[in-house]
Amino acid sequence: MSVDTFHYDNKIVRNFGIATMIWGIIGFLVGLIVALKFIWPDFLGFIPELSFGRLRPLHTNAVIFAFAGNAIFYGVYYSLPRLCKASMWSEKLSKIHFWGWQAIIVSAVATLPFGITTSKEYAELEWPIDIAITLIWVIFGVNMIMTIMKRREKHIYVAIWFYIATFVTVAVLHLVNSFEVPATLLKSYPIYAGVQDALVQWWYGHNAVAFFLTTPFLGIMYYFIPKASNRPIFSYRLSIVHFWSLIFIYIWAGPHHLLYTALPGWAQTLGVVFSLMLIAPSWGGMLNGLLTLRGAWDKVREDPVLKFMVVAVTAYGMVTFEGPMLSIANVNAIAHYSDYIIGHVHNGALLWNGGLAFGMLYFITPRIYETKLFSTKLANIHFWFATMGAIFYVIPMYWGGITQSLMWKEFTDQGFLAYPNFLETVVQIIPMYALRAFGGTLFIIGALFGVYNLYKTAKSGSLLKAEEAQAPALQKHAGDENESWHRRLEGRPLKFTLLTVVAILIGGIVEYMPTALIDSNIPTIESVQPYTALEVEGRDIYIAEGCNNCHSQMIRPFRSETERYGEYSKAGEFVYDHPFLWGSKRTGPDLHRIGGKYPDSWHLRHMYDPNSTSPGSIMPAYPWLLTQDMDMESMPNRIEALSTVGVPYSPRYPEYAVGDMKAQAERITQGLRENGFDIIEGIEITSEKKVIALIAYLQRLGTDISGENDPFGELPSSKKLSPVIMEKK
Amino acid sequence: MYKDVLRSMDGIELFPSISLILFFTFFLILIIYLIRTGKDFWKDAANIPLDSDKIFNPKNSKQ
Repeated sequence: MSVDTFHYDNKIVRNFGIATMIWGIIGFLVGLIVALKFIWPDFLGFIPELSFGRLRPLHTNAVIFAFAGNAIFYGVYYSLPRLCKASMWSEKLSKIHFWGWQAIIVSAVATLPFGITTSKEYAELEWPIDIAITLIWVIFGVNMIMTIMKRREKHIYVAIWFYIATFVTVAVLHLVNSFEVPATLLKSYPIYAGVQDALVQWWYGHNAVAFFLTTPFLGIMYYFIPKASNRPIFSYRLSIVHFWSLIFIYIWAGPHHLLYTALPGWAQTLGVVFSLMLIAPSWGGMLNGLLTLRGAWDKVREDPVLKFMVVAVTAYGMVTFEGPMLSIANVNAIAHYSDYIIGHVHNGALLWNGGLAFGMLYFITPRIYETKLFSTKLANIHFWFATMGAIFYVIPMYWGGITQSLMWKEFTDQGFLAYPNFLETVVQIIPMYALRAFGGTLFIIGALFGVYNLYKTAKSGSLLKAEEAQAPALQKHAGDENESWHRRLEGRPLKFTLLTVVAILIGGIVEYMPTALIDSNIPTIESVQPYTALEVEGRDIYIAEGCNNCHSQMIRPFRSETERYGEYSKAGEFVYDHPFLWGSKRTGPDLHRIGGKYPDSWHLRHMYDPNSTSPGSIMPAYPWLLTQDMDMESMPNRIEALSTVGVPYSPRYPEYAVGDMKAQAERITQGLRENGFDIIEGIEITSEKKVIALIAYLQRLGTDISGENDPFGELPSSKKLSPVIMEKK
Repeated sequence: MYKDVLRSMDGIELFPSISLILFFTFFLILIIYLIRTGKDFWKDAANIPLDSDKIFNPKNSKQ
């Protein structure tokens, strides 16, 4: 038997490790900044690029794709070659993957704060970056699959299955959710509208959690917990059931983000049922990880690596218990839109993803630098800061979330809302926001200790760039046919990958197809019409400023909501919404029926200084909307793109779009002037300012259903084009 | 456009049910199979992470 000598590339591992730490710290700090804005709304205020609505997506993208993303690759590039007993297939592709991924992150930093966003949660990056993500992801996948093909270990270990599932599913999710038509270089509209867009987005959003924050980390768990505790996984058979059931069931669960919304009832029910079932594989996996440590718990007391990993797996157990519970309709009715969900995701992000990431960093760094950890004591201090930080974050959010939600729903004996002013429910939980920021600070301090400790560790050793290893060459699958079927499958990576794709496609297709297929799933409402050009501009400003990060546009059919906001939202009202803007959190009130509720001047004053109309409000001020000009130049392109995705504008409407914009803006400005709002604090309000477009959009919201609207009636286009709006296809 | 593609497929409404039945069967077979193979059958696979650097690379096995 010939024995091959080969090398593990530790340099790429180190690079991903450094990237994990740097982006981690940056992502956490942005998180802390946005957390502080809840307590001091003017903190770093009045700077458009640093406003809450623009920074929050930067925070979520940074921690998910930059911190957790680099941590995934860190774990994969360390464990995959060792499990395959082979070098990575191509060092060049590893390098392109590394630098390409960092470039994507930098491009996120260079676009999101400037209001360049699609508004779809965790998929905010605009279309050119979407294409770059696809390319880099494929490079990662090719390198991984080819490494598996060239392996010297016949059996593909369970961790690798999870890596494969991650690769193929994220590819499918990203592609399907990113079907968009570019209007300009940095602006696109999704081909889906309203209910369909919501369904696809949350199919994506939920499975980003599943296949970006869960499956790769489960693979990491299956490799690193046995390594760190030096004992095999508790039950390999359980891991097989865990894998197949998890990937099959997870993909169906997305609609639990849309309960009580305008999504068809059967799709909601399907989402709930599968979410409940999900507890079985999740807990199976968690127990498999924890029970691996049976008889080795004494090591957990001493080894910071195991400490981080045990808390990570425990947190995973908590979060995956909470998830199915939150998806039960009547629990969801209370928790949804509240800060409870923010607590829930941070329990997962800080402890599960953070715990495994730091556990790996403490495990790998001394090994690739051939040295000892600089300070075990400091690592233990980090562990406590991280754990206490997470507790101080999560518990106040749970408390605040439930308080907030119960206040929204409380009625007096006379049958009126007990807290009709939404602000009362915000002010009530500000102390909880302060505690959350304190928790976040603890977590960051801990992480800084970690970075220092790992830096000193690296300094004390020297990087073993190419680690030599030996293994016998893999015999050509001799005698395979006599093997049992799953073992055979594990020796065939391509078939395995294919089967994984089939498993994850089924849920997606079954959920999505009927909504796409049967028009009766989305009843049309005759009086609902597309937006005018000025309203499209206003909507794009709403998206750019990230208003959807705090305001929903989806009134659920509860008395507490119809009393507060008005008629509940119907599916047919969103047929021209590319993208949908239902939101997922109500730090501020729902806006779906805001149209006509207040005069234009109220919105103008509110945007300039929210406290002038709503004393005590924690909404940031948007003074720049009064001074910056709206974008008229690209409007014809945007109308064309919207027509391409299915909004039935007349083919000649792009020619008239700017004229319409000007006329409608002039009318609104004239109205403001007549009411004495021509100058606000020395700023002259003119018709080309962004705020005018935003007012036009807000005043239109949710008003079509009354049937009294003729949005194009008095605009110049209606005199030239008949009709402005074609029959809907 | 994509709607037309889907609409043109015959018997598409059966696909979900077929796939669900297929998967349910798959799970049942998987579980029966795993129970029948027994724990020891998978021992070598479970040990892959542990022996990956033990046997042929004594330098690393110290850790």
